[in-house]
Amino acid sequence: MRISLNWLKQYVEINQTPEELAHSLTMLGLEVESIERLGDKYNNFFVGKVVNVQKHPKADKLTVCQVDVGEKTLQIVCGAPNIAENQIVAVGLEGAIVPKNQHDPEGKPFQLSKVSLRGTESNGMICSEYELDLGEDKDGILILKINAPIGTPLSKYLDLDDIIFEIGVTPNRPDALSHIGIAREVATIQNKTISLPVTKVIEDTAKISSKVSIKIEDPDNCPRYSARLLTDLKIKSSPEWLKQRLKSIDIRSVNNIVDITNYVMMECGHPLHAFDYDKLEQGMIVIKCAEENQPFITLDHKERKLRKDTLMICDSHKPIAIAGVMGGENSEITKDTKTILLESAYFLPRSIRKTSKHFSLVSDASQRFERGADPNGTIWAINRAAQLIQEIAGGKVLNGIIDVYPKIVEGEKVILRLSKLIEIVGITIPKEMVIEILSKLSIKVIDISRRENDDTIIVQTPTFRPDLQLEIDIIEEVARIYGYDNIPVHQASLIKFSENAPIKNQISEMKAHFIGAGMSEIITNSMQTIQTALLSSPHPVQISNPISRDMESLRTSLLPNMLEVIRENIFRGTTLVRLFEFGNIYFNNPYIAGKYLKEYQEVAMLTIGLSGSANRVNWDEKSRFYDIFDIKGEIESFFEKISLDNIKFIPYSTTNALSESDLRIEINSEYIGTIGMIRKDVLKRFGIEQDVVFADIDVDKIIKLADIKKKFMSLSKFPSVIRDIALVVHRTVQMDRIEEVIKQYGSELLRKVELFDRYTGEQIGKDNVSYAFSLEFISSDHTLTQNEVDKVFNNITKKLEQQLKAVIRQ
Amino acid sequence: MIEKIKQIEQEAQTEIATVQTLDHLELFRVKYIARKGLVPTLFDSLKTLESSIRPEMGKHLNDLRNKVQKLFDDKKEALEKNLHSEKESIDLTLPGRKRWIGTKHPITQTLDEIKRIFFKMGFEVAEGPEIEDDYHNFEALNFPPDHPARDMQDTFFVSDKILLRTHTSPVQIRVMEKQKPPVRVIMPGRVYRNEAISSRSYCLFHQVEGLYVDTRVTFSELKGTLVAFAKQFYGSNIKFRFRPSFFPFTEPSAEMDITCFLCKGSGCRVCKQTGWLEILGCGMVHPNVLKNVNYDPDKYSGYAFGMGIERIAMLMYGIDDIRILYQNDLRFLKQF
Repeated sequence: MRISLNWLKQYVEINQTPEELAHSLTMLGLEVESIERLGDKYNNFFVGKVVNVQKHPKADKLTVCQVDVGEKTLQIVCGAPNIAENQIVAVGLEGAIVPKNQHDPEGKPFQLSKVSLRGTESNGMICSEYELDLGEDKDGILILKINAPIGTPLSKYLDLDDIIFEIGVTPNRPDALSHIGIAREVATIQNKTISLPVTKVIEDTAKISSKVSIKIEDPDNCPRYSARLLTDLKIKSSPEWLKQRLKSIDIRSVNNIVDITNYVMMECGHPLHAFDYDKLEQGMIVIKCAEENQPFITLDHKERKLRKDTLMICDSHKPIAIAGVMGGENSEITKDTKTILLESAYFLPRSIRKTSKHFSLVSDASQRFERGADPNGTIWAINRAAQLIQEIAGGKVLNGIIDVYPKIVEGEKVILRLSKLIEIVGITIPKEMVIEILSKLSIKVIDISRRENDDTIIVQTPTFRPDLQLEIDIIEEVARIYGYDNIPVHQASLIKFSENAPIKNQISEMKAHFIGAGMSEIITNSMQTIQTALLSSPHPVQISNPISRDMESLRTSLLPNMLEVIRENIFRGTTLVRLFEFGNIYFNNPYIAGKYLKEYQEVAMLTIGLSGSANRVNWDEKSRFYDIFDIKGEIESFFEKISLDNIKFIPYSTTNALSESDLRIEINSEYIGTIGMIRKDVLKRFGIEQDVVFADIDVDKIIKLADIKKKFMSLSKFPSVIRDIALVVHRTVQMDRIEEVIKQYGSELLRKVELFDRYTGEQIGKDNVSYAFSLEFISSDHTLTQNEVDKVFNNITKKLEQQLKAVIRQ
Repeated sequence: MIEKIKQIEQEAQTEIATVQTLDHLELFRVKYIARKGLVPTLFDSLKTLESSIRPEMGKHLNDLRNKVQKLFDDKKEALEKNLHSEKESIDLTLPGRKRWIGTKHPITQTLDEIKRIFFKMGFEVAEGPEIEDDYHNFEALNFPPDHPARDMQDTFFVSDKILLRTHTSPVQIRVMEKQKPPVRVIMPGRVYRNEAISSRSYCLFHQVEGLYVDTRVTFSELKGTLVAFAKQFYGSNIKFRFRPSFFPFTEPSAEMDITCFLCKGSGCRVCKQTGWLEILGCGMVHPNVLKNVNYDPDKYSGYAFGMGIERIAMLMYGIDDIRILYQNDLRFLKQF
């Protein structure tokens, strides 16, 4: 909301500087977002007099003028056809910023500098109305009044000494969407009273009741409708002062009638509407809801399909306005309008809000009605407007107001307990001070209990403050005016912990592990295209109102984002990437119960992506590229770190849309993730020219599995015995099968099996593979003898020979 | 015999002086000390002597053996030392073999720091879903249907009553539905806003919500907690202010500003010339919210607060475009 300081001063005395006032308002909850000095726009513009005009020697359409700008006379080249000697004009000097550029399609501002135009020096610019942003006329320079003092700053000549505050009004404060509303707040904290303009309407003898009848068919949605009739009007453009007022708060001037209704709305906050009376059938106004799908053309010339919950203003035959939102084209004020019906009504906020939302149609009126206008403010507003119209547009105001107000709306009666006030705020505010604050806010004190042990005050709120309904609302008002800064900063000496046991911060620990392993954490958007989402699940969550097609679904896997990040990094020259992301993926599977909402599932995932050189480039080491064993090793180390065992990596031929040569990771036969390589065709589609290996792990599952109480196991005092075993098997025998046999027959003495060599070559036959393992044996209660170890070791070799047809190498 | 001993000693001394390499030293060892060398051979001839002079000769021989051995040992040590210093002449300005260096995303770093401070103040972490229902995201938080306050948060909808949470406040409701006071939790998480993407706003961001409900919780204590946080996070010399604001689920509501740490309050581009930076929103839990979770508002009161992580991270690190946080350019990430 833009608030003009000069306008504000009409209602309340202000002695503070603009900065001080802005601070006061901000500390009242009316945050001043910016302060704009209107005159600043015309810095370096002055009133000047054209003393001499000569043809430009080299250009037919240009003239060379001598312009007196007070202290000096400047040579200025001008292209306007209407230039003439002795004109008083607006001159921009070097450094001035011309608000609008006539030669720019968007009219962007530009700064003036000394230039040479076809060889003739020009020291400024004589401006048009358009260039000065004072109107639309581009056809020639703006000619000022002949008595305008030469050399005066233009801002002063235009009376632009005003200051505009941009106030961010929160949606609970409709009363603050007007100058009088802001004046009321200023008066409250400065112990002043506001003075409202006296409304005095000179009524004609003819009675409105003979010309107009009003019927509210829907009193729930329209509790009050007040109207006046004004005749013999002259529709024309508004006087300068009115145009200027509206312009200062960014409202476009239309004509005197519309401008006055807007002016009164910005003055007191109550929206008004004017109908062309001659376009109404039978002088009748009926307020009722529309028929479903009834077409209606609003003032912005758009046809809208009404709904049966759209509250409408109608005459005896047709709708003429969407109540509280926008008028209809069919009853619009035009230059030929002679008689107007002036509406000042109160509509139910919820109804207006629904309609405004449905049509995506927001107007200054709808904004105020949906937040809550003052039902008892209609009469002041309509009289104020009638008075101004009479002054500005002439005409007669018919006798009387038709005011249909079946049920008077009163302020809310609220019981305030001082003890509750203390309990919430934390300090005692004396009763007298509370009562003083309430009265400043026009909150009426109806009753103060005099009984012992009864600290209640019964108050009645003003109807212009619809946000005040409950005791807590009154407490907030008292605290607000008392000043939040005056409430002491208190820290409880005793912290009361939540009843529930805290959850361990495992994800932070896991992140620390991967950062320690030299990976960078990434955080990516959780919205993606539906095509991408469908790559990983047939059940993506779809957004019904996405920003764009790129973000119409929630992600079903972290991998596509990972690939995009890898691509972008390679593109920018970082080809070695080690990345991880912890994030949620989302599904809408109607057959699975979600943790919070049925049918919607959120799964916490960890994704790792490695690409490029597997080792840092060193001067004495050869580099190689990542392969599946790098990512497998990372995951094995990670599981070791979080004390997970019983892990199986199971190769499976993939039908995955993204990857190939995958390994399923299982712990205790439960699937917990996948590692693999991204398929070549997918890499190509993502524009990546180097291999990417990845891991994709269900975080909740590993947190659950890793959540075991750690228990100390005593360390053996006895030495261990290491035996190496080398064997040759057929290449179809998988390594893990050998390890399995060794473990199975290793007895309780075998502690560790480690593969330390793998060899293929002609010497052992081309279909064979040689493996070498190191086996560690230990006992917790005695030193092992050679004999004991031999027995186990020989059994292992025997089983390997029997079961895997292994040839043990000596 | 004694001449022989003296002669060998002489020879060994002369010869050792000429030894320059380990290979040459090995020849020396073979000639004098090895099993078939000159000194052991002399020991062998000891038994051919008369038994009366054998002990004395034995003593001389032992001396010889020790002397020759010492010549050998000293030389060996000297040669090896030489060799070592030759090795040291390698170019030590060559770079070391570096390991990979990982980085924590600036959003996580900021969140971790916020968490650390609230953990010290006895807050625990609670979580809730990103896909929420209208009830938890709005209605239970005292946003009535068709209320303009809903416009404060442009919403992504999944269906009529299901949406992407616009703030972490619905977690307040979920926590209180499950638990009786005292409740003292922070609720970090991802939230969504249907706003045009620009340098100032992204379609999603992260918040940390805080909630404390118990008997006798006051606005004064809310101020105390948040001032303590702000001083821990931004430094003990900051100035602060609480100004009235509006959130449907708290009343009284406030926004907390601190003096702009870039211009120290004199006004700059970052603080929009006001000298103040808004860092969080807060207030006393609205009695309607307490009623919605079956807490008696006459018995319990509480405070809640919420802050945007990205905004804080951007202020802290001087990042001027929120989108860069989601681009994950390693040149960016490695700066933190």
